[in-house]
Amino acid sequence: MARRRRFVAPVQALDGGWRINLDDEERNLLVRLMGELEALLTGPDDNELIRRLFPVAYPDDDEKEAEYQRLMREELVTSRLAAIASVTRTIDPASAPVMLDEGETIAFMQSINAVRLVLGSMLGITDDDSADDADAADSPEHHLYDFLSWLLEWTVRSLSPN
Amino acid sequence: MPTTLEPTEVKEPDLDDAAAVDRPWVVLVWNDPVNLMSYVTFVFQKLFGYSLEKATELMLDVHEKGRAVVASCGREEAEMHVFRLHEHSLWATMEHDGPSS
Repeated sequence: MARRRRFVAPVQALDGGWRINLDDEERNLLVRLMGELEALLTGPDDNELIRRLFPVAYPDDDEKEAEYQRLMREELVTSRLAAIASVTRTIDPASAPVMLDEGETIAFMQSINAVRLVLGSMLGITDDDSADDADAADSPEHHLYDFLSWLLEWTVRSLSPN
Repeated sequence: MPTTLEPTEVKEPDLDDAAAVDRPWVVLVWNDPVNLMSYVTFVFQKLFGYSLEKATELMLDVHEKGRAVVASCGREEAEMHVFRLHEHSLWATMEHDGPSS
């Protein structure tokens, strides 16, 4: 009699760190997405797709906002690129370690979420109603968005203190 | 109640004028349709050291009321919080607490 394969969470907190249980196809997909995110972050500043990744800090004060962006935008890009580099290294089947440490797992969480935000912009998810519509929609991009949401849920769960 | 005599300590007044006149700032997080509730709760716990209960309460405020004050502090510290929230892709802003003079 065939036995059903036991479900294993895609991200698990174990004694020696965090383990990512994804197959090579899923890992290569994530590596490709990281490359696309990196290209967006190093491309033109005014791309609508990345607007959500650089929120306004001072909505009521244009002068302070300009100053803030002048000082912090580049730092935010640098931080995001460092996280992407970490994810690429720790997910690529060719270089992935057996276990990730906490910082690497957090970089994974942040970068997966950054891709979700870009996809959310592509799919026109701008409020809770359009988010509900997106839940019901059926396109490759919607499936990808759902996959990343699922992966993010498990990552958050694995990182949360019990 | 302990009766141990503490050495007397004279507190010097804070002479940093800039800090002294810096009115408190509030850091706000706004509702958005993409960030997951569990993720937002986790980020609040991680960045501010809030308990699960407190972080969940703030997350629900964001979700239901559209926004929540997650920190109240000086300007420099508020900017640091905003930056770290932006690193996590949360929609965070900051403003003076109370009416502007």
